[in-house]
Amino acid sequence: MNTAYQIVVCGSIVPDPLQTLEPVTGPAGPALKNEMMLPAVLDPWASHALYEAANFAKHSAGSKVWLVSLGPKAKLQQVMMTVAQKVPFELIALDGPASGFTDAAEVAALLTEAIQSIPGLDKAKLLVFGGWESASRGAGATMQIVGERLGILDQFQGVDELKLNPDGSLEILERIEGGKHQVSRCVSPPALLGWATGNLPEPKNNPQVGMVNMRTAMPALQKAKPVKLAGESLTFKSVSLPKQLRETKIVKDKSADDIAREIVEWIRK
Amino acid sequence: METILLLAHTEPDGTLAKSAFEILGAATSLNSSLAGSKIIAGLVGETVQSAADSIAKCGAVKFLGVAGADFAPSRYASDAAAAEAICRAANASLILAPATARWNRVLPAVAQRLGGHADTHITGIEASNGSISVNRWYYRQRMEASLQRKGRPWFILLEPGSQPAWGGERAPAKMETINVNLPETCKRTTVVGLREPTADAQTIRPDADLLLVAGAGWTKKQADGQPHVKEAEKLILGCLKLARASLGSSKSLVDLSGEGQATLSFLTHLNQIGQTGSTPRHAKGLATCCHGEEPHTVGWRFVNERRAINLDPGCGWARGKADVLYVADAFTVVAKVNELLAEKPAA
Amino acid sequence: MDVDIVCVGFGPATAGFLTTLSRQLLKADGTPAIESTVTPGMPPQILCYERADDLGFGVSGVVTRARGLRETFPDLDPKQIPMAALVAEEKVVYLLDPIGASRRSWTVRAADACLRAFKGLLPLKNDALELPWSPAFLHKTGGLVLSMGQFMQWVGAQIQSTGTVQIWLGTPVSEALIEDRNVVGVRLLDQGVDKQGKPGEGFMPGMDIHAALTVLGDGPVGPVGQQIDAQFGTPENHHSRDWAVGMKFVVDLPENTPLKPGTVLHTFGFPEPEIFGFFYVQPDRIASLGIFVPSWFDSPMRTSYRYLQHWMLHPYLWRYLEGSKLRSWGAKTLGESGRRGEPHLAGNGYARIGEGSGSTNVLTGSGIDEAWTTGTQLAESVLELLKAGKAFTKENLEQSYVSRRRTSWLESEARVAEKSRDGFQKGFVRGMVGMALAGLTNGRLALNGEPVPPYQRIPTLEEYYRGRISPEEIDQLGKECRIKGVSLHSALMQRCGWPAIPYDGKLLVSHQDALLLGGKVQAPPGYADHVVFLYPELCQKCGTKICIELCSGQAIAPGQGGVPAFDREKCVHCGACYWNCSQSVPGNPERMNIAFRAGTGGLHSAEN
Repeated sequence: MNTAYQIVVCGSIVPDPLQTLEPVTGPAGPALKNEMMLPAVLDPWASHALYEAANFAKHSAGSKVWLVSLGPKAKLQQVMMTVAQKVPFELIALDGPASGFTDAAEVAALLTEAIQSIPGLDKAKLLVFGGWESASRGAGATMQIVGERLGILDQFQGVDELKLNPDGSLEILERIEGGKHQVSRCVSPPALLGWATGNLPEPKNNPQVGMVNMRTAMPALQKAKPVKLAGESLTFKSVSLPKQLRETKIVKDKSADDIAREIVEWIRK
Repeated sequence: METILLLAHTEPDGTLAKSAFEILGAATSLNSSLAGSKIIAGLVGETVQSAADSIAKCGAVKFLGVAGADFAPSRYASDAAAAEAICRAANASLILAPATARWNRVLPAVAQRLGGHADTHITGIEASNGSISVNRWYYRQRMEASLQRKGRPWFILLEPGSQPAWGGERAPAKMETINVNLPETCKRTTVVGLREPTADAQTIRPDADLLLVAGAGWTKKQADGQPHVKEAEKLILGCLKLARASLGSSKSLVDLSGEGQATLSFLTHLNQIGQTGSTPRHAKGLATCCHGEEPHTVGWRFVNERRAINLDPGCGWARGKADVLYVADAFTVVAKVNELLAEKPAA
Repeated sequence: MDVDIVCVGFGPATAGFLTTLSRQLLKADGTPAIESTVTPGMPPQILCYERADDLGFGVSGVVTRARGLRETFPDLDPKQIPMAALVAEEKVVYLLDPIGASRRSWTVRAADACLRAFKGLLPLKNDALELPWSPAFLHKTGGLVLSMGQFMQWVGAQIQSTGTVQIWLGTPVSEALIEDRNVVGVRLLDQGVDKQGKPGEGFMPGMDIHAALTVLGDGPVGPVGQQIDAQFGTPENHHSRDWAVGMKFVVDLPENTPLKPGTVLHTFGFPEPEIFGFFYVQPDRIASLGIFVPSWFDSPMRTSYRYLQHWMLHPYLWRYLEGSKLRSWGAKTLGESGRRGEPHLAGNGYARIGEGSGSTNVLTGSGIDEAWTTGTQLAESVLELLKAGKAFTKENLEQSYVSRRRTSWLESEARVAEKSRDGFQKGFVRGMVGMALAGLTNGRLALNGEPVPPYQRIPTLEEYYRGRISPEEIDQLGKECRIKGVSLHSALMQRCGWPAIPYDGKLLVSHQDALLLGGKVQAPPGYADHVVFLYPELCQKCGTKICIELCSGQAIAPGQGGVPAFDREKCVHCGACYWNCSQSVPGNPERMNIAFRAGTGGLHSAEN
């Protein structure tokens, strides 16, 4: 059984992981210091979702992948110049904040609207992918709300594997407590999957994929709809950096035996 | 006047997990600091009576339940229907629930369904002057925020391990069961089962006191110019077993397997701690052959006592990230640690 | 894959090229003003491949007169570019040695003694003399202080938003494709290989990108530029023998800083007379500051990081820097040969622009403006040729691009500067006098001193420390450092009286912390090592191992059997190892034993 799937991946950008982050309070609530100057990358979990989507599409002829992304247009454009060489997709860009301090529900409403605007969207073929949470807000709530708004009742979070069974049903591995996975079977699309890391390595840069992607990505960026988030339901009392520095005792000149003894004492304490 | 709903799901054996008692702890303390509020308990699962009995004395004015075979598995559609029904029946303004995988998957959507709001991964909750604030972390545990919401219902999913658990005697609880007829559209997904890591590779133990973190150094060339991966595996597994520790890993070590390089056979992405991995809670953490760089150590946010073994005295752990850094060869030290752990502790 | 134009490297020269070009490819109605030959009906397909992982990750902060930039952006408003400010005040400062560890010639010592003797009469404060006058050729009046990283992000976004140019990041070009002495495009770097370049899991050979024109803007140590020089040779008597490594910090100044945005300080004299310093104040209490360590600083122990810290701790600067916090850090090689290092600027199917084309003005210490201008000049020429339907032959490119360059201010000023630094070949004082002479006489006079390849200038450790540290002690310290796997300079500098750095965890941090906290250095897996020791036997017999000492990222460390070990994950791609090698390779007296090839990763900061 072969279905041509429509896979819509939701994913935004987050600061490059090694950057120093510091919160500041602006007129519109909390933000990151020098947010626009921080280099950005596609959210790591959303990236996994995108690679999984491309991989799934590759094995089901006629399938297509969209990436719906909400972020400042200029930053999205830049991130695309890294991501668009990885796998084929069509970009749908929304020009708005990518801050972690936005409300998941408001973001979900915008993403849903963007998904619904895809011409020829067919729910019987629809798989909505995203990261199970973001590296910015880290709520793990946006995708569920998108699914709920789209009326998708088969939702999975912390997904590490998606398999297509011969009968067309989907077999999904979700992370649960204790390092275990729950195995579920869903008869058919539509379904929503919030991905954890999956099992795919990062795809290599492929210039041809990049060329093809950019034919649609650039126009999509040029006509990216400016969107605003009201941010009214959420009030931040404070955002602060934790006191993270400890007084590190550096033990240099002890023998391995002494160190081991000290560690064992500590473990048993 | 808040109506606080404690929303929990039962375990396959009909009991409540520790995280549910923790939520109850938070709910009772919140209830006592809010004037005119009340607690309602709501339970979902195959059976709920026994669970209700275990919290009968918590001061809840009502016990609501949705039970039956349809509600045994952790499944979005049925869980959403059950949670929705209980929330509506309780007419709750605040819903406190443990941030388990099962509830995380569904409650933000239920909040949407009810026109409410949801905040997840909450690590602290308090009420003062009638207004409630919750704490949670942003940007992969790099900054902590305190936030409030005016809109209701407000779903607050509290992180397991972040609240003191409620303790009370069992007693018969008067259960009001709510009938939820699950339409076929909610049964399109079947939970087939659980996949557990194989017994000898059971390296993730969330309840362990000690987190043992392995870094990429274990697979690199050692002093003799050769890598000793087999020996590294033996030492790490030995230590895990003897110290009953949970195993974490740095991203670089997990990534090596993707590159087809020699790596520790029992490691998967699930072990990865840090920015793109997990942020587990353990009383103690011991890092070995790992540099303690920022993207990794953000995953140590909830590890209280931290020690590290690394050959480089200038590694990240030395920069205020560990309590103690042992500048030493982890192969030698862990071998000795295992030897000592294998001996009976002195009485 | 076939395209019309492919560019190698996205630095200021390519940015100037693409900005100028992209503005004229479409008509107002969006239809092509010029048609592509590979995809008819479309505007020319123009790709740029950049090694670094994001726009502006590999460049550095500057003060510039911004003449070329303003020609392209007549309404340039610094407020639109983060970290940009108009130059407000410029000072040239001579720093005395407050420690007594600096290695000063007798002439410098005599000058210092005079200054100290007459300090009542001279404005000598904080062990420094602010020069009451400095020559006009050094001034950047009316210019801009910029973070090149931020500028490149700003300009890169504009270029890409035209939709006519694609700038692909994290994608190094490994070589030019050459057929019958014609450059026909480029080959990208292999992916999915091990450190030695051997195919592994997920191997993807570098794709060939064919183009009618290949634009080389890959900088002074760019691998494609090196390949073209090796293939086509260099003009007679042209050679690149003068180099410097610039290392910098971007810092948050203390809240009560008296320094105003647009303040520019140039220092010389300390930590060693040969090391020059810069300090640019940007808006919002940010400053970019650092030092240049030149190849004519004849020390086998030349290190930038340690010297940079001593420089910051000089009382003249420390009064501004105390309480500052590190934001960003980086390093880069500067080609200091200027016009003398100019390669063939064009050939069949290719043209060279920017620093790698010898555009830097070594007298005025200006490079960005010049590089940008070479790019705009090429763009104008390319448009001219495209419109005329002429091919990108050597002849056509010379008639358009090269002749444009030759008749512009670039050329006339480069000629003034050409020999201005030759005096430094024979010492610091002579160099300063030579620069002044050349600058003040418009290049008519200069002190001679034909540059020699850098390896010929590197003394042995024993020679350099003669009279200060015995050969036996050097040997002993060397052994200890090799066992620890660390470089030797700290031990030797300490021994010569340089005090330990008082780490404060904010500004004065370890070298590795600067890499992580400042440069956020990283490298993706699956690529070959780009620093290669060509003849290991030469490394084995090398006594100085200057590559280890100068490595900006501590990416080169003592290795087994005397051959240094390279750690790709720490490399910032500054390229200093390319010219900091004491061994020439057999058969080529201009080439040293370290190959600096195409590679990925590096700095992850766009504030430099």
